Amino acid sequence: MSGAGDAVPVLQVRDLQAHFRTHYFGVNREVRAVDGVTFEVNRNEIYGLAGESSSGKTTLVKTIAGLLKPPLEMVGGSARFSFLPGWDAIGRAPPEVVRAIRWRHLSYIMQGSMNVLNPLRRVRYSFRDFAWRHLGGSKVEFDARVVAHMERVKLDPSVLDAYPHELSGGMRQRVTIALATICKPDFIIADEPTTALDVVVQKDVLGMIRAIQCEMGSSILFITHDMGVHAALTDRLGIMYAGRLVEDGETPEIFSRPLHPYTRHLIASLPRIGDTEQREGLDGTPPNLAAPPPGCRFHPRCPLAMPVCTTIVPAMVETLPGHRVACHAVNPGMAT
Amino acid sequence: MSAYPAYLAKRLAQFAMVVFIGVNLAFVITHASPIDPVEQSIAVVTSFGSTAPEAIAAMRSSLQELYGLKGTLAEQYLTFWSRVVRGDFGPSLSAFPTPVSALIGRALPWTAGLLIVSTLITWVLGNLLGGLAGYYQRSRTLKLMGVVAMGVHPIPYYIVALLLLIVFGFLWPVLPITGGSAMNLQQGWNWAFVSSVVLHSILPALSLILIGLGSWFLGMRSLVSNIVTEDYVVYAETAGLDSRRVLGSYVMRNALAPQVTGLAMSLGGIFNGAVITEKVFGYPGVGTLLVDAVYAGDYGLVLGVTTVSIIAVSVGVLVIDLLYPLIDPRVELR
Amino acid sequence: MLAILRDLLRYNLEFRIGLALVAIVLVMAGLSFVSPYPAGDVFVVPPDIPPSITHWLGTTSRGQDVFWQLTLAIRNTLGFGIMVAVLSRVIAIVVGLLAGYSGGWIDRVLMSINDTFIIIPLFPILILFYFVLRDTMSTPLLATIMACLGWAYDARLIRSIALSLKTREFTQTSIFSGMKTHEILAREHLPYVLPIVFSTTMNNMNWSIGIEVTLAVLGFTDINTPTIGGMIYWANQHTALVAGIWWWIAFPVALVAMTFVGLFLLAVSMNEYIDPRSRLARMGGGR
Repeated sequence: MSGAGDAVPVLQVRDLQAHFRTHYFGVNREVRAVDGVTFEVNRNEIYGLAGESSSGKTTLVKTIAGLLKPPLEMVGGSARFSFLPGWDAIGRAPPEVVRAIRWRHLSYIMQGSMNVLNPLRRVRYSFRDFAWRHLGGSKVEFDARVVAHMERVKLDPSVLDAYPHELSGGMRQRVTIALATICKPDFIIADEPTTALDVVVQKDVLGMIRAIQCEMGSSILFITHDMGVHAALTDRLGIMYAGRLVEDGETPEIFSRPLHPYTRHLIASLPRIGDTEQREGLDGTPPNLAAPPPGCRFHPRCPLAMPVCTTIVPAMVETLPGHRVACHAVNPGMAT
Repeated sequence: MSAYPAYLAKRLAQFAMVVFIGVNLAFVITHASPIDPVEQSIAVVTSFGSTAPEAIAAMRSSLQELYGLKGTLAEQYLTFWSRVVRGDFGPSLSAFPTPVSALIGRALPWTAGLLIVSTLITWVLGNLLGGLAGYYQRSRTLKLMGVVAMGVHPIPYYIVALLLLIVFGFLWPVLPITGGSAMNLQQGWNWAFVSSVVLHSILPALSLILIGLGSWFLGMRSLVSNIVTEDYVVYAETAGLDSRRVLGSYVMRNALAPQVTGLAMSLGGIFNGAVITEKVFGYPGVGTLLVDAVYAGDYGLVLGVTTVSIIAVSVGVLVIDLLYPLIDPRVELR
Repeated sequence: MLAILRDLLRYNLEFRIGLALVAIVLVMAGLSFVSPYPAGDVFVVPPDIPPSITHWLGTTSRGQDVFWQLTLAIRNTLGFGIMVAVLSRVIAIVVGLLAGYSGGWIDRVLMSINDTFIIIPLFPILILFYFVLRDTMSTPLLATIMACLGWAYDARLIRSIALSLKTREFTQTSIFSGMKTHEILAREHLPYVLPIVFSTTMNNMNWSIGIEVTLAVLGFTDINTPTIGGMIYWANQHTALVAGIWWWIAFPVALVAMTFVGLFLLAVSMNEYIDPRSRLARMGGGR
């Protein structure tokens, strides 16, 4: 399924920049965690973000969701939501406007979901804290809605009276999914929601996310470094490297025709049944974002690196229909 | 809740251990001493004039009986325990023939009242302000409070009590600076007596509160400034929860558990402070009793007060420990 | 360790204030060695003179110069604090490391004893000690007793650090690379434990000096050795406040308060430095 036909994207990100500034015991650092990212997420689609750890994925979604706290700062660009007209980023809208939108239109399934539930609060109260003000109704009506929704994620209503530490990891993850979806939000950000789970539970949870998304017609921005999960779940896919988006397009297209050398490496490193040899790794390490390499940030590790790559930043160009890539080797002569 | 019985057993064992070690410590200290309390008491009596040798021998025998120093060391040890269990420490020498237990019984309510009220005020106020300071880190008022807390907190009880005494006793004498109540009043539940008790307790309570406030404030502030970075707080903020709800039910509520443990851990130290504070303000509690007993050379009374205060503090700790699961259901983690 | 001190000095206000206060106190203590008056003697100067050019901080009713008396008193008080701190550090480190590294029932038994010493009110016990020892209670003996009673809190802290170090990766690496246990402890773990030991030393000194002052004020110590508490004791004996000899009490109180705040600020700034969160922020780690 593809949402490309819809007219207005739910989320439009333009040249977004977020920097990490620290000053501590005399050490000053400025880390450009997100450096000029542009992409869109359409209605009723799952957009995946891939990349190594510390490639800036989490910072990117935090900036989009308006959750930056010092030392992280949004420095430039915009991230517009269709349900928040008139503001070019959530972080720039007044607090009462943002509060009305959170959870009603935009919800979040966080990384490290094991610890997102208050350990000293029964699950029932978490639901009341998070959703009651949006859904309204009497306490009894609301509780009934919660119970009905719990069944949708295959959870027994008795879970509502448990404390988080009394639940298993998979159950806790399902509770957070139920919590993030109960208001039927337009947009859900899911940051590594399955990383800490074992493979069987992971498959189960992914199926559930897909099913609920289909049922509600929400859009999901799904982040994981696991390319296998992207292949199975997402409609479109963006690849991040060192704070920049280097390629994006429809998921099957990316997997069948990867253009950027980094994407090719990511896909090639996926284990396949029948592998007999160790897969080839990539030389070098991800760059230090406090002093990133000039030009294309991938060039020190790139097998196709040319002189121009060391000086000029490649532009993100729509090379094939709906398929953009930022690479001098693919798009000669295109620079920002 | 299945872990509760195991938790209970552990806390009770710890309680028994504290009482056991404490009582043994009192026994060992008094019996390993190079000074014989019997001879010392005799010396006190005979210093007023010469006494017949038979009278001294009789006195020696009855004092040994009184202090539980008759027989072998093992017998003395058993006598000591049986006295502790019965709460009978013999008659006081300095207030003869009033029993030690009666003197302690009279002083204990004063100390308990002063300590419970001032500790509760200190704990609640310190945690509230410290929690706010940790949550609203940019508030200038709260920052200033932190600086004051840092400056006052390390100063010992005696110095603060002395300063209050100077201020309210000499520079601006508006509050009574000594005693537990006015002397001429009928003790009981009448307005004149109760108001006099409250008035007299202000300065001792204030000095206990001033000292205690800083440590709760600083402790809570650093706890809260760590908790606000916890995933569940960030998540609640992400969900757009009311910031008062986040502060109350997510931040403060979760910082409370370690502070309750901290309260149990610091009861002994708070009691230490009460001893000296009571003495400075002539408050008729256990602390004054203890210090005066030392001055008077009253062996039975010193031993009695020491043992009772060790047991009283451990009971206080036990009560807090038993209430702890109400605050934090994860007892198996302790 | 030196680098830590340099960083703290350069960037931490609390550390600088604390260091300045402690430096003043140390200079005072050092001046005692050049005191023009013999320490223990009384009536060497005219009594009850208010602060003036000849006697900067006045003189006492016992005919002692407050300033020079104070230099000796703070030296003895500091010496007492250091004595207790060093002795109790030894116990705390041994118990803490032993419990942390052994684990199992050794850990449980040690921590149970440890918690007992945290809970028991120490003041009545110290008074009991004084009561039975009387005049044989000397300053070193009191220091030893207090060290034996005052190690528990820090032992718990050191144990928790030992526990976390034991499970760190570099410990495993060191074991696999064939380092001996004492080498691992000395080379790999000591740098982590030392700052904590330093900050607990400051706090422990505050605790022991506080109790010493309190005991001395009540007359429950060797009152013939001049200490801060001893000075206040003699001032009280001569009802200095009622008699208007305020300088006899005010200056010892001010100096000991400076000591407390100074030591406390050193401990606090050190703690902030070793807090893993701020350490992470310093190294630019985290996400």
